[in-house]
Amino acid sequence: MKRFAIDIRRYWKYIKYAAKADLETEVTNAYLEWFWWILEPVCNMLIYYFIFGVVFHNQEQYYLVFIYSAITMWTFFNKVVTTSVQLVKHSKSIVSRVYVPKPILLIQKMGVNVFKMIISCGIVIVLMIPYRISVDYHLFLLIPVFITFFIFTYGCACFLMHFGVYVEDLSYIVNIVLRMVFYFTGVFYSVSQKFPKPIGMIAEKVNPLAFLIASMRNALMYKTDTDCRALMFWFVFSCMLAVGGTRLVYKNENNYVKVI
Amino acid sequence: MDNAAIVIEDLCIDYKPLKNMSIMKTFFHRHTEKEKVFHAVKHVSFMVNKGEILGIVGKNGSGKSTMLRSIAGIFQPDSGSIDLRGHSVSLMSIGVGFHDQLSGRKNIILSGMLLGFTEKEMLEKMESIIAFAEIGEFIDMPVRTYSSGMYSKLAFAITANLETDIVLIDEVLSVGDANFKKKSLAKMKELISDERKTVVMVSHDMSTMQTLCDRILWIDKGEVVLTGSSEEVIGKYLAFMN
Repeated sequence: MKRFAIDIRRYWKYIKYAAKADLETEVTNAYLEWFWWILEPVCNMLIYYFIFGVVFHNQEQYYLVFIYSAITMWTFFNKVVTTSVQLVKHSKSIVSRVYVPKPILLIQKMGVNVFKMIISCGIVIVLMIPYRISVDYHLFLLIPVFITFFIFTYGCACFLMHFGVYVEDLSYIVNIVLRMVFYFTGVFYSVSQKFPKPIGMIAEKVNPLAFLIASMRNALMYKTDTDCRALMFWFVFSCMLAVGGTRLVYKNENNYVKVI
Repeated sequence: MDNAAIVIEDLCIDYKPLKNMSIMKTFFHRHTEKEKVFHAVKHVSFMVNKGEILGIVGKNGSGKSTMLRSIAGIFQPDSGSIDLRGHSVSLMSIGVGFHDQLSGRKNIILSGMLLGFTEKEMLEKMESIIAFAEIGEFIDMPVRTYSSGMYSKLAFAITANLETDIVLIDEVLSVGDANFKKKSLAKMKELISDERKTVVMVSHDMSTMQTLCDRILWIDKGEVVLTGSSEEVIGKYLAFMN
């Protein structure tokens, strides 16, 4: 991990520049250019408002914030994990010509998605205003929740980046698994309340994404504590996942070029 | 050894057929062939002194490019060692890694940053690189819109204008039209004449190799056949090839 820290420091400027360039590329040829970074999440929010508010008359308290905040986290996880599977192959023109630590490629892609997530978080804050959602000291819980969430996402993505080099079908499998996980994560509902007790509580704690989303909602909207022991468990688990994934990638990264 | 810029000892590089696995193939072809290992470079040892120009010759598939990429840090040796004595290194090959969707200008900065230069340093070198590449207004267009010649010219211009201690050159002398070839050869000579630079180059152009290189290493099937003066080795190599 010392090597990882050194690489992050050494390539930090590259990560920032490449992430910025990636973001610009996405909108360069669009008529509305950077406005899409705001317009896209706003349009998504309006769709959820229409479907869950107007069509289904969702009874959930602060339902729009409830759904949109979870969608923001899920979208980040989904995009990073999906991208990671083909990341080395898609970076062939770079990695076969110059040495670049492969975790750096992943961090750069995470940077792109963090930027988009920040915009979505801004929309969440705006959505909280009409609902008059007040916040208190529980809001600070978002810090460990998001740290755990980012480390967990990075760890998963590292493993998938490695196996994605060797297993052709992995992207199909990952898409199916992600779709399944999506419906069990409680993006549109509360896992602990929808399932009968105690299954709901257990289902929420054994699924790290469901747990982290529920913890985020508790801190942001309901001013309630989260299960600190479970949070600590998932933090330690995520760190182990991230360390294991980083080691795996470093150990094999110079063989990737021979395969892709 | 004190004057050495590159020390390579007992270098072995293998290509294991870690071809992409398909889950279908894995399940339905249970009796797969035993995996063969291709030994691209076998027990190669040599040293290059600071300021020296070493040429590597050999027929296609003899392991020349693999060895250069290994020195550049792209491949990890399966055994043996590569010691660059803390020198910075850049590989000049046809098509430095570009982000196809980005403009040439942005790719210049990104390529430089990957080789350890800062954004500021790259901005300072920008105009000379653009002038050398001769691609005009295309510099602000996405690289995917470039012709193969323009792509190669930009790649050559970037690496040729970056000042690393060790320059590895892999078959880039045939880039571009006749004018650009002349210009790139002159640039190469300029690079090479800088006594601080150590150069390892691979080319099939024997007259250029004889003119530019101090010493030639001939490899065949991944093994060193002969090392010596340009005249001696190229003479024997050409006789072998004929």
